[in-house]
Amino acid sequence: MAQILPTQTQPARQAASDSDSSNPPHIEAHGVSLDFPMGRHATLRVLSDIDLAIPRGSIVSLIGPSGCGKSTLLKVLAGLLPPSSGRVAVAGMAPAEAARQRRIGLVFQDATLLPWQNALANAGFLLRITDRSLPVRAVRERAQAMLRLVGLEGAEQRLPSQLSGGMRQRVAIARALALDPDVLLMDEPFGALDAITRETMGTFLLDLWRRTGKTILLVTHSINEAVFLSSEVHVMAASPGRLLAALSVPLAYPRKEASYADPAFGQVATELRLLLKQGHAA
Amino acid sequence: MTTGVAPHRPGPAARSELRRGASQLLPPAFLLVAVLLVWEGVVRLLKVSDFALPAPSAIAAVLIRDQASLAENAWITAQEVLLGFAVSGLVGAALALLIARFDRLGRAVYPLVVLFQTVPKIALAPLCILWFGYGLAPKVVLTVVIAFFPVALDMLSGLRAVDPNLVALMRSVGSRGGEILWRVQVPTALPYLMSGLKIAVTFSVIGAIVGEFSGAQAGLGYIIQFASTQLETPLVFAALVEVSVLGIVFYYLVELAERLLVPWSPK
Repeated sequence: MAQILPTQTQPARQAASDSDSSNPPHIEAHGVSLDFPMGRHATLRVLSDIDLAIPRGSIVSLIGPSGCGKSTLLKVLAGLLPPSSGRVAVAGMAPAEAARQRRIGLVFQDATLLPWQNALANAGFLLRITDRSLPVRAVRERAQAMLRLVGLEGAEQRLPSQLSGGMRQRVAIARALALDPDVLLMDEPFGALDAITRETMGTFLLDLWRRTGKTILLVTHSINEAVFLSSEVHVMAASPGRLLAALSVPLAYPRKEASYADPAFGQVATELRLLLKQGHAA
Repeated sequence: MTTGVAPHRPGPAARSELRRGASQLLPPAFLLVAVLLVWEGVVRLLKVSDFALPAPSAIAAVLIRDQASLAENAWITAQEVLLGFAVSGLVGAALALLIARFDRLGRAVYPLVVLFQTVPKIALAPLCILWFGYGLAPKVVLTVVIAFFPVALDMLSGLRAVDPNLVALMRSVGSRGGEILWRVQVPTALPYLMSGLKIAVTFSVIGAIVGEFSGAQAGLGYIIQFASTQLETPLVFAALVEVSVLGIVFYYLVELAERLLVPWSPK
């Protein structure tokens, strides 16, 4: 499967530990704050003094109550919103530049597919508009390979309305991966799915991560999802949006259904729950 | 109600489509026939005079007797409707594109368009005659003035209905406004445009008839006005029937176009 992603090097899959000096952070934020103007003179502080360092090749979650600014933080990291102060770097450069160089893949809660185009055209859509020199056939082949990678072989000709919610989200992931980005930023990618599909998609994402070696940062409000997927969970609190704590998850990969029953899983989940309550009360 | 569409058999899709169409058409057809029968019965029973309210049979007789001249006048009205509708569609869509693409221009133009919309268009009919004479032109102008607005409004909401996340995503990889407009906004707006066109086509019939009322030498509107002054009420009704048929045919042509051009449109 790895030959589908020709330019991607396979980084060492060591347990995430940002203290590891041989593995410099792939996504970093230093003292990032964001203010929205509210009327003439007032501003609303949406993000306050965020420091974040996410190692290359790791899979990390951002969790917090609704409205704590976790999606906004993701937009800042993706270069869609400039921070009011502080510094952000993705793959060692400003995020807007990283996006232009196709190093950032984005997946939203809604698949945001084009309803008039089939799965294949949707998967190739971003690639087609970013690289005009690429021949149509090359885009097609790449899109086809990405659909195969996300397990949608045979569904190429289907329109989004003919796909299930989980399949649509797989197409959105294929669309992001077609750019061969270094990092994958996912904003509650499974939030709109039912519980069972959601768990299946979690296992699918871990498998994808293992095979592609991307750095993945995902925003979620599900404690179980955060613990199951990530090597590290960053907890946010609201008003203003800030980082409360970072927990590492001491569960070995590959994780399976049995991981849910691991005592360590329960421990981390409980700790997260307490932190989230604390963030709510604040 | 004929609920017996029966379990779907793997046959030609066209046949099941036809059957579904029939099961939808039958109830209103029955009701229409019933209304016509009651109408006929009441007129005969109470001996209502023809110039007050002609019976359906009398109207049908005129439809047959005057079919040649009615068809000739219907063709004239149809031309006015079609041309007016086409120009309304173009003007409305172009206006929406301009407003969506050029923000400043849009902010200047949009309030004026809305303001103009508050003018009762029918009041403009005499002016149209004054400026453009008695031929095709005043009817088309009046039709466009009446019918472009729903097209522009619906198209504009379609252009603005694009998922902002998708636009942000496209921008982040270097897409510019024009490309976003053509690749995403316009296709997204097509179903909206089609519903605007459906309103526009019915408005176009109104525009053409009002135009003919205000000054014409031919057309179904002219027939209606002329016949009513002569107390030829059966002819008035016959022309009304043809106007309605015209409107229905045009409406369903637009709906057919929608099905063919925008198959992803939510039903």
